[in-house]
Amino acid sequence: MTITAAHTSEPILSVKNLSTSFFSDRGEVKAVRGVSFDVYPGEILGIVGESGSGKSITCMSVLRLLKANGRVLDGSAVFEGKDLTTLPSRQMRALRGNDISMIFQDPMTSLNPTLTVGEQIIETIRAHRQVSRADAAKRAIELFDLVKIPSPSKRLKSYPHEFSGGMRQRVMIAMALSCDPKLLVADEPTTALDVTIQRQVLQLLKELQSRLGMAVILITHDLGVIAEVTDRILVMYGGMVMETGRVADLFESPRHPYTQGLLKSIPDLSSGEHQRLSPIPGSPPDMLHPPAGCPFAPRCTHAMGICTEAVPQLYCAGDTPVLRAGQAARCWLHHADAPEVPEVNAREHEGAA
Amino acid sequence: MIGYIIRRLLMMIVTLFAIITLTFFLMHAVPGGPFTSEKQVLPEIQAALDAKYHLNDPIWLQYFNYLKGIAVLDLGPSFKYPGLTVNEMIVEGLPVTMKTGVLALLCVVALGVPLGIVAALFRNKWPDTLVMVFATIGVAIPSYVVATVTLYIFALRLGWVPTFGLDDWRGFILPVLALSGFWLAFIARLSRSSLLETLNEDYMTTAKAKGLHPMQVLFKHGLRNSLIPIVTVLGPVVANLLTGSFVIEQIFALPGIGRHFVLSITNRDYTTIMGITIFYAAFLMVMIFIVDMIYLALDPRIKLGKASS
Ligand SMILES: Nc1ncnc2c1ncn2[C@@H]1O[C@H](COP(=O)(O)OP(=O)(O)OP(=O)(O)O)[C@@H](O)[C@H]1O
Ligand code: SF4
Ligand SMILES: [Mg+2]
Repeated sequence: MTITAAHTSEPILSVKNLSTSFFSDRGEVKAVRGVSFDVYPGEILGIVGESGSGKSITCMSVLRLLKANGRVLDGSAVFEGKDLTTLPSRQMRALRGNDISMIFQDPMTSLNPTLTVGEQIIETIRAHRQVSRADAAKRAIELFDLVKIPSPSKRLKSYPHEFSGGMRQRVMIAMALSCDPKLLVADEPTTALDVTIQRQVLQLLKELQSRLGMAVILITHDLGVIAEVTDRILVMYGGMVMETGRVADLFESPRHPYTQGLLKSIPDLSSGEHQRLSPIPGSPPDMLHPPAGCPFAPRCTHAMGICTEAVPQLYCAGDTPVLRAGQAARCWLHHADAPEVPEVNAREHEGAA
Repeated sequence: MIGYIIRRLLMMIVTLFAIITLTFFLMHAVPGGPFTSEKQVLPEIQAALDAKYHLNDPIWLQYFNYLKGIAVLDLGPSFKYPGLTVNEMIVEGLPVTMKTGVLALLCVVALGVPLGIVAALFRNKWPDTLVMVFATIGVAIPSYVVATVTLYIFALRLGWVPTFGLDDWRGFILPVLALSGFWLAFIARLSRSSLLETLNEDYMTTAKAKGLHPMQVLFKHGLRNSLIPIVTVLGPVVANLLTGSFVIEQIFALPGIGRHFVLSITNRDYTTIMGITIFYAAFLMVMIFIVDMIYLALDPRIKLGKASS
């Protein structure tokens, strides 16, 4: 189902019912189970969730960058009218790094250690633009300037190991921006960096996003990052979307026990301190044998009988008054017959904060 | 870089000097001499021989003279074959040894690496299985077994190739096969695992995510990185092909340096033993130097010593 937010434009990327599994010796790992979301031009969509919830695999499925044992089983991902799941590989290639680009968690391992960073940027530009090496190099210098790498023309000839972690991630960002993408997927771009460097890189990303006007999907563990830079968020758990909505709405009025658990694990949000999620008691489900019902049921303090039997639907704003425009939550407590749990489904809480 | 090369060359000379010294004194510490053979030699003849080869000189003088000879690339006369110098023996055997050695090395690299790549790219499919079965057999069977069995089947039984000698190109087939078999299999396995490891690296995903052509991803980003561990073992491979050639030249009766070397040991032909040892040592050092240079060119992360920067 489509979750309509207060957006006037068409989504640039529309993912519907995406399901991805890995086939290993031990069986089928159901990493992503029916994920739907939209990304609108110029917005930053955050994806949060504990490790293994399927954040990366969702994005890798969209870009068709899965390891050989992974397969998209169902669903679609429409980017500018083209369904990426069925696009011929040549066209997919023309899109990657050009219209949609990606940066990864660890800039240390994401750059090829045996090629100069300049070469790695130049080859990206030349894969998509008919330009000479010299012109591509000129563009690379501009990009280094853009991401604030000092003495760009000299640094172009350096190898990745000659950069610090933060500078390396800037190189990755420069590379990702080299062909003016319409959508940038950033998979935990700051997780591997020092705290002070994290802030700088994040600031840079935010600044570039508003300057260049591209859409960004930002995957992160860090709710501080979410609060600071994203417009909307997708909370994932057990390969599913648990809750989604505008950032302010989800922080003020979370309507899913899992989102509430995540938010409670942050001591003081107003201090703006970046905080890794301290885990909710219990551990995430084994995706080899995902539970039949709500994946969060074993850890949920409100779990009911039905929760272990069937997966709840994603309740949208129109279904229940507690959900705000653009907000949706996958929880049985939003069913008309569910008992009242004030913090999740009670009317009085709406607009309290 | 230049500084590093010069330092390496100097170190090679020092190492070679140490090897020369060591072989010389070890040789002289071994009981028995070249002329104490089974046959009884008259004392006068013994004395004459000793005098001819300066064996009565003090050992330091002999050593000094030997060094002087090496300085002008003269490894001295053979003790066993009067009128033949060690230099002549090496020059005579070199073409055969080099031809089989180079062919074997070519087999190892030009066949082993592509086979490994094919296996990795078709992981768990039939080409992989096929390569891995042969590679496992190749690693498991010693070269002298390969040599004798193939000799028996293809030379004696089927008569497709000569049993010995190198009169035409077919004579090379079995020796090269026996010499390279193990390392061909070894390199194929190593290339496979190395490429599989590389294919799993994050930067390979990055390369794909940038929209590069799959060939560019594989050859520019994958192959170069997966070659690094292969280049590192190339030095030991060359050394092992060298020692392997002693046995192979013996089995196939090839007139190479290896055969001279083995014979010189049974003959207690001091100067020949020393000469060939030193020749081999120098050759290996040069090969390892070349391998290191390739390694350096492949992997920019290798830091040269401070002196070079
Ligand atoms: N190549 C693979 N083979 C088998 N299972 C895989 C593979 N890659 C990922 N998975 C599984 O898919 C699930 C989702 O992984 P994913 O990488 O999307 O998690 P994530 O939410 O990005 O977590 P993290 O925050 O740790 O990056 C996990 O259970 C993981 O074990
Ligand atoms: S569906 Fe049930 S188990 Fe799942 S979050 Fe809601 S109440 Fe908890
Ligand atoms: Mg991830």
